[in-house]
Amino acid sequence: MVSMTGRAVGQGLGQGLGKLMSSSIGIEIIYSFVIILCSLMIYFGTRELYKLSSHKGIKYFRQSFLFFALAYFFRSFIKIILFYFDAGEIRALLPIFGNITLFIFMYFSSMAIFYLIYSVMWKKWKSKSIVYLFHLMAFAIAIIIILFRNQFVYLLINLLLFVFIAFIFYKSHRQSKKKKSHHLYIIYLLLFVFWIFNIIDILIPNYLQTFQLFIYLISLGIFLSILYKVIRRIG
Amino acid sequence: MAKRNKLEIIKDILKIIQNNHSIKPTPLLRRSNVSSSRFKEYYLELLEKEFIKETSGKNKQITLTKKGYRYLEKYSAIINFIDEFEL
Repeated sequence: MVSMTGRAVGQGLGQGLGKLMSSSIGIEIIYSFVIILCSLMIYFGTRELYKLSSHKGIKYFRQSFLFFALAYFFRSFIKIILFYFDAGEIRALLPIFGNITLFIFMYFSSMAIFYLIYSVMWKKWKSKSIVYLFHLMAFAIAIIIILFRNQFVYLLINLLLFVFIAFIFYKSHRQSKKKKSHHLYIIYLLLFVFWIFNIIDILIPNYLQTFQLFIYLISLGIFLSILYKVIRRIG
Repeated sequence: MAKRNKLEIIKDILKIIQNNHSIKPTPLLRRSNVSSSRFKEYYLELLEKEFIKETSGKNKQITLTKKGYRYLEKYSAIINFIDEFEL
């Protein structure tokens, strides 16, 4: 009896492991691992520069990538759970746990984007309360996502977020006198676009299924190019 | 001449100390080319961050610490990084 149960558990685990390592989840794990690694390398690689300089721009830049790493961790966590239980939406599968995970993912995602904007804009936005405003906005976005289970609302929020980001970056870019900043703004704008695609991919599963591999490849390229820029500068 | 930012002023103060190996506060203030109130601010910050240390005794001398030397080594990396990402 005991050996039968043991064999059954073993078979179940084996099937689960096999399922986990099948191609689509394998790609998902590699993708998340590389992005989390890039973000953490940026965060820890710039620690000394921040400790020596106490520069606020470096501080917000580092925090942004810490939030990216945390958001991607929760993103991959949601994806693995959905894949393992073959479910479409995490909240349908695990109502309370799903809502909490989704809330944390949305909060960290929004904060990552806001901190990256703030790292460029902090000299122009003198008010200290802006950081609190960002936390409040990220909290509000996460709450709206939890309360409204409507795909139209999800798309609208992400569209508004993108318009907000694009407007700020366009204004900042026009004011910038440096020629090379043009490349940086393009990288940041692409990062935001593809980050929003990553959010939609979690909120509305199968919506971007056809382009998933393309989104993953471009996102990896963006993170790797930022990491390359960081490594080149910090030596 | 362009206005120096905080990071540059700190670099200049540390560089003066490095070039003299050790220096008294008054000549350091004179050579650093900042107002005495600003100098006091930076001086206290450098002490607090342990970039410099004071020798005890009647003739107070200022010397660089390991962190101070590290700042000078990393200064161009810090500036290039800030410039690269428009921080």
